Amino acid sequence: MTRYALGKAIEMVAAMVAVSFVVFLILEANVDGVAVKVLGQFSTPDQRQLWLRENGYFDPFFLRYLRWLWHFATGQWGESTHYREAILNLLPERLAATGLLALCTLAVMVPLSLILGVLAGVREGSPIDRVVTLFSVVTISVPEFASAVFLSALFVFSLGWLPGASTMTSGFSWRELVLPVMVLALYSTGYLARITRASMAEVMASPYIRTALMKGASPARIVFRHALRNALIAPVTVIMLQVPWLLSGVIVVEVFFAYKGFGTLLYEASLNSDVYVIEDCAMVSVVVVVSTQLASDLIYAWLNPRIEFGRKAGAGTR
Amino acid sequence: MFKLRTNSGRALHPAVPALADQLAKGEIGRRDFLRTAAWLGVSAASAQAFAAAFGGALMAPGRAEAAEVPKKGGSLRFTCQIQEMKDPALVSWIEASNLYRNSLEFLTLVDADNVTHPYLALSWDPSEDLKTWRFKLRQDVKWSNGDAFNADDVVFNIKRWIQPTSKSSNRTAFAAVSDVEKTGEHEVTLHLSRPVLSIPEMLYAYTCPILHRKFEEQGADWPKNPIGTGPYSLAEYNVGQRATFKRREGYWGEPPYLDEIRYIDMGADVTSHVAALAAGQVDVLYRVTIAELDLVKRLPNVQLLTGHAAQTLCLRMQVDQKPFDDKRVRQAILLAADNQKMLDLAYRGMGVVAEDHHVAPFQPEYFKLPPLKRDVAKAKQLLADAGYKDGLDVTLTVGNTQGRWEQDTAQILQQNCAEAGVRIKLNVMPATEYWNIWNKAPFSVTYWAHRPLAVMTLDLAYRKGAEWNETHFDDPTFEAALDKALGIIDPKARSQAMEAVERSLQDAAIMVQPYWADEFTAVSAKVKDYRIHPAHYFKMDKVWLA
Repeated sequence: MTRYALGKAIEMVAAMVAVSFVVFLILEANVDGVAVKVLGQFSTPDQRQLWLRENGYFDPFFLRYLRWLWHFATGQWGESTHYREAILNLLPERLAATGLLALCTLAVMVPLSLILGVLAGVREGSPIDRVVTLFSVVTISVPEFASAVFLSALFVFSLGWLPGASTMTSGFSWRELVLPVMVLALYSTGYLARITRASMAEVMASPYIRTALMKGASPARIVFRHALRNALIAPVTVIMLQVPWLLSGVIVVEVFFAYKGFGTLLYEASLNSDVYVIEDCAMVSVVVVVSTQLASDLIYAWLNPRIEFGRKAGAGTR
Repeated sequence: MFKLRTNSGRALHPAVPALADQLAKGEIGRRDFLRTAAWLGVSAASAQAFAAAFGGALMAPGRAEAAEVPKKGGSLRFTCQIQEMKDPALVSWIEASNLYRNSLEFLTLVDADNVTHPYLALSWDPSEDLKTWRFKLRQDVKWSNGDAFNADDVVFNIKRWIQPTSKSSNRTAFAAVSDVEKTGEHEVTLHLSRPVLSIPEMLYAYTCPILHRKFEEQGADWPKNPIGTGPYSLAEYNVGQRATFKRREGYWGEPPYLDEIRYIDMGADVTSHVAALAAGQVDVLYRVTIAELDLVKRLPNVQLLTGHAAQTLCLRMQVDQKPFDDKRVRQAILLAADNQKMLDLAYRGMGVVAEDHHVAPFQPEYFKLPPLKRDVAKAKQLLADAGYKDGLDVTLTVGNTQGRWEQDTAQILQQNCAEAGVRIKLNVMPATEYWNIWNKAPFSVTYWAHRPLAVMTLDLAYRKGAEWNETHFDDPTFEAALDKALGIIDPKARSQAMEAVERSLQDAAIMVQPYWADEFTAVSAKVKDYRIHPAHYFKMDKVWLA
């Protein structure tokens, strides 16, 4: 276990270093651009040169990169050139907002899709199965920007039930969360239900379930006691893959509803070439991706004790 | 007979009687009369009364008007981009100016009818040759930090604009101002190197708010130290997020109705702004683009405000960059362009077709030139003469700073030019990125905001060495013609003098300037007395909530 955790930690650091290098290379190769961003377009060439010198921009690239890594590691994240605010003040608030959105989405999506998937998978070809399959196909094929427009047209413009923007300017509001959560959940519920259904159907056809059936076990007992735990392995992978998606893939939904989260921060930072914010957001994303992977490995192990830490090749579940 | 008076109580400028005579004879319109009289220091009330004698009052379109008695109180929510506004003299976004317009005031005020009124300046008296302007300032104005407002404040600001190192567009706009002098505790005098009639109107440009005389000493960062003379004070400010202004006690003028104005940044997508308005989450949208027009028209409890404005797109070429340094190439592009089609398809015909010289038919000094004729064969011939027999590849940069219609316009030009063999590649970039390169790309689409007078834009954009001269146009004959027009008081003579100005711009073929775009905005039905302003200058002190 310790060896495993250590290995994972090394993996995480390696991924962060790789990502950071690429991001740094892309964003900070053009040093003049950085100076213009920081000092503003009305700064004079002399001021820019002076600033670049003072901030060590004339040092060799690799040295600059190492210095930047050190600053990141020690929490000296600098100031956003667009928002003119310390990134360490800006980022936690935005992360929390997106985290809340992600949590709500998961809270709707996970139970709903597991129930739908299990109901459909238990008896393949049943009317419930057909309905769930149709639902899945429809929701998977409608992209978020389309469902966002459709749901806004319905709930904001036609019925007038829900607020159209989720800026939360008058303080926190659950009502403003409904539409973004609905769009995100709709998109991923169908997909997850489909995976659960396939996984459940496969398990239901396996010999040990047949044995249990022949032993006369009740259907409920078969589903909950025997099938579900094995059938959940695939959906858990999908759920875990949704977490990083919910952090950065929600850009479309956050921008559409003007929700001030991590996605809009990254989007606006990119639009405004806010170099330092993009760099830090990228690093935060890596941390989230790697930690969810770690979490999913741990949940696997709980669901399927045959998986041994650190011996991925032999375990046969990947 | 109604008597015309000046605000200062001094004698009328010698040109005023002739102006009144022209109005009486019907040679000039009431609007032209009111505007010109206002520049010359005539009081608006007396000019209005005088003009009314020649038929009715002047009304402007696009007003969210109320016949009821205004109600005090309430918090109004306004959605627009929250821009950086560290130094108000340097901003290049009108949105930013709408924020500080609540706290900072100007020497003059230009209303939605384009008539100039006294503001921090009580009156002005131009000399007969229009080269010396004496401004009398209000004496009852206090800064929010308790200091008294006086001539030192004004001298500090104007000196700052016109100094050679100034990066403000004001340096170009006020290039004729050679000196500013304090001629009394509450009086300043401007000395000009050449006559300029529109000085009072130019002082309401969005980069001209009067800052406290210690602005630079105190760090030159207005939001950090938001001292102002206006009715509201800045209470909260986060770029890209929100800004709040609260009513301030001790304002010199009539107190405003609203307790608070909250500006909310909802990103650049106007559709989500409309959704927020529909759901009652905001009360005023900064603007609605042509794309959302139909949606807004269908919304209940929402008022759509529209008006003509001299706002336009300049698909301009830099005359010192290849291949545009060859005039024949530029002429070919202009000859291939179909301005009417760009208006009809990209802006759904909601505007007025333009003639590539940046002077609008509804601006007072406009002179009508013969209509433009599209001639693809001639365009091809010119290209061949310039050595591009097999056509030419160029890149056109588009920032969509005001919305998708910029790109739509560029795409129609792309199709027009393809017929003549000019293959245009579009380089579409985010709006915020665009403003960093807007005057650097050899061929790009720039949105130009409304100015009440065409000469103001021409002065800013087409003089040699001007800060905003994005075409790098350099033509002494043009400048001489412009100088001449700037000094003429008589509206009719001024318009005639503009013929040479318009012609030299059109003949130089530096831009396709296809049409004048109408402006639209939407406000909630409970917002009263909010008026659309052709320049998007929104002053909020008369606005109230029902």
